[in-house]
Amino acid sequence: MNILVVDDERIVLESCARVLGDRFEVRLVKSADEAIEAMSREAFSIILLDIKMPGKDGITLMRHAKNRWPDIPVIIMSGYVTNETMKEVAETGAAIFLAKPFTPDELAEAVDQVLMKEEGHG
Amino acid sequence: MLYSIRAKLIAGFIGVSFVVGAFSLVVGTYLLDKAVGSEALMRVSLDLNSARELYRVRTTAIEVPLNVTTLGYGFIAALKERDIPDLIFRLGRMADYASLDFAGIVDSEGSPLCRSGPNAVPSRRDHSTNPITSFGLEKGASVSGTFVLTHEFLFEENPQLAERARIDIMPTPGTQPSTKRAETAGLALGAAVPVVDDGELLGVLYGGVLLNRDTNLVDTVKGTVFHNEEYKGRSVGRASIFLNDVRISTNVPSQDGGRAIGTRVAEEVREHVLEQKDRWTRRAPVMSDWYITAYEPIEDVRGRTVGILGVGVLDEKYEDMRWNTLSIFIFITLVGMVAAAAIGCFVAGRLVDPIRRLISASRQVTEGSLAPDIGPESGDEIGILQKAFKEMVGAVGRRRLESQNRLIMSEKQASVGRLAAGVAHEINNPLTGVLTYTHMLLRRKDLDEEVRADLQTIAEATERVRKIVKGLLDFSRQTAPHREKVDVNKLVSSTIALMENQALVKGVNVDFDAGDNLPPVNMDRNQFQSVLLNVLINGLDATEPGDSITVRTRNSDQVNEAGQEGVEISITDSGCGIPSEHLNKLFDPFFTTKEVGHGTGLGLSVSLGIVQRHGGSIRVRSKVGKGSTFTIWVPFEGKVI
Repeated sequence: MNILVVDDERIVLESCARVLGDRFEVRLVKSADEAIEAMSREAFSIILLDIKMPGKDGITLMRHAKNRWPDIPVIIMSGYVTNETMKEVAETGAAIFLAKPFTPDELAEAVDQVLMKEEGHG
Repeated sequence: MLYSIRAKLIAGFIGVSFVVGAFSLVVGTYLLDKAVGSEALMRVSLDLNSARELYRVRTTAIEVPLNVTTLGYGFIAALKERDIPDLIFRLGRMADYASLDFAGIVDSEGSPLCRSGPNAVPSRRDHSTNPITSFGLEKGASVSGTFVLTHEFLFEENPQLAERARIDIMPTPGTQPSTKRAETAGLALGAAVPVVDDGELLGVLYGGVLLNRDTNLVDTVKGTVFHNEEYKGRSVGRASIFLNDVRISTNVPSQDGGRAIGTRVAEEVREHVLEQKDRWTRRAPVMSDWYITAYEPIEDVRGRTVGILGVGVLDEKYEDMRWNTLSIFIFITLVGMVAAAAIGCFVAGRLVDPIRRLISASRQVTEGSLAPDIGPESGDEIGILQKAFKEMVGAVGRRRLESQNRLIMSEKQASVGRLAAGVAHEINNPLTGVLTYTHMLLRRKDLDEEVRADLQTIAEATERVRKIVKGLLDFSRQTAPHREKVDVNKLVSSTIALMENQALVKGVNVDFDAGDNLPPVNMDRNQFQSVLLNVLINGLDATEPGDSITVRTRNSDQVNEAGQEGVEISITDSGCGIPSEHLNKLFDPFFTTKEVGHGTGLGLSVSLGIVQRHGGSIRVRSKVGKGSTFTIWVPFEGKVI
């Protein structure tokens, strides 16, 4: 199983890799464009996505991704969420919302939850 | 406008006093006129009666001496013997004694025998009829009364008498021009007494007074009836005797200061008295003055109307009396009007001054002052207005302070919120790293205890940072309320249930006094619950075991700026209370009195934000050592902010 993590902060990318690296194949990208590139080359089981990023932000990316790969579940990571972004996230159909900062356990739990849901669907 | 109130008041006062004064003036004048007028007419009417009585007495005063004379033995003897000189002597003495103008004797046939005066012995040419004796012979008894004597008779009696009787007729205002130039006949009071001896008529004794130019009778009337009363140098009472309509005896003054003999009676009077033979009593002009006059006809012995007896009272006396009273009335009315104007001025001043002060006070308020000078409070409705104005200014001041505070608060919240959001966002990413790596390290089994303990400390500290950041984010999150109809009592009891265990453990009693008939409130249930919980937990933190917390809900009579009605939830604790210097800062973000690590200082600030977004407010009353009351007010229909 492979997971795509999209965040402009290196420390977040590294943290995710550190926590999930044992169980999954983790691919790290620093921008939305890179993420699209990666996704068009590879199929991912889960995408972990930061909302606030320079250039294309997480919401735009998610719309794009949901359009092309509607079956890939998305976990949104964000430190600061307004009602409006929440609404947008819900409209685009993100699976789960994960508030930053998170502990390794919280991250693992979120991923497991998504996978369980997927299995149920599958 | 102010002046017009003053002017209106004064005009009103003057108007009322003028109307009252004028009315009483008119009524008073009317009543006075009536009273004085009827009084004067009554008096003059009585005076005329007295004058008539005097006229009658004067007639009697002629008859009596004649009677006495005819009874004298000497007289009868002289008449029997036709002793003319003796008779003439006796006649002269009698005439002198009785003040007669003429006296004489005729024989039983009516021919004159002798008379007093210059022509004592009648000449042969004397052939005019003696109206007195002929009437006496006709009657065969004593007669007395008024006679009209012809010029011829008078001339035969005494040429001086004829001369005295002749009166030139004067032109008189208010009369028809006379056809005669002079009156030559005489009006006389006379009497005739038959002289009888042993049943034989010896002759007739006659005598009388000529009224033409006589002053005796009219002046006696003046003296007796009017007591010679004078008013402003003029006699009040006047009396006149007219032969037909010509004034032959009077004390009415003429224009040259003498007596107005020869003037005539007014046409109206002549017609009424001479032709209709009736009494006439009225206010009338006599010569140059106005008199209250009374006239009645004079009848001669044969019952023919031959003249007029008249009296008059100077009207000026009554006129002046009327005028004096009228002047007093007018004076009182004027004084009343002046007094009314003064009172009006005073009242208007009392009324207008406070209003003017209020106007200047409202200008002061417009210019920004909140302590305007409205002067001393009056005790009437204006006082109420002043009080209301004061209260209004006070309320405006409080509102202004409140909205200023609210503005400051929301600015604080907004800036702190922006700062918090920025900081939180920046901190969250590295914090994720710290959390991840600390926890990953802690998972390792090969750590010695000291390192594990250190790592644990890092993990806990980071956890605290996470909480602070979360609080900051909550604070900065200006989430719009998601409204629904909420039963406030249910919400309160479910919130109390959430913290009741905590309170129980601490030994603090929580009571809920639910208000009746509360309508559902349009609010965000979750946000509001967090507000209630926040205030309740704060209350719990302020209490000691044994203290209590009471929550009350009720319909509030307060309204918010939008005029909405609402519900009040008060949370009262009997805890330590809040020092007054802290009260102002209570809702400031990051203000906390709790120990480090036990509160972010954002709870009340966030709560206030939520309540305000509902269009409500939070009030705090507190006394150190006694406890605090937080009163949350929310409108039934929340407004959207």
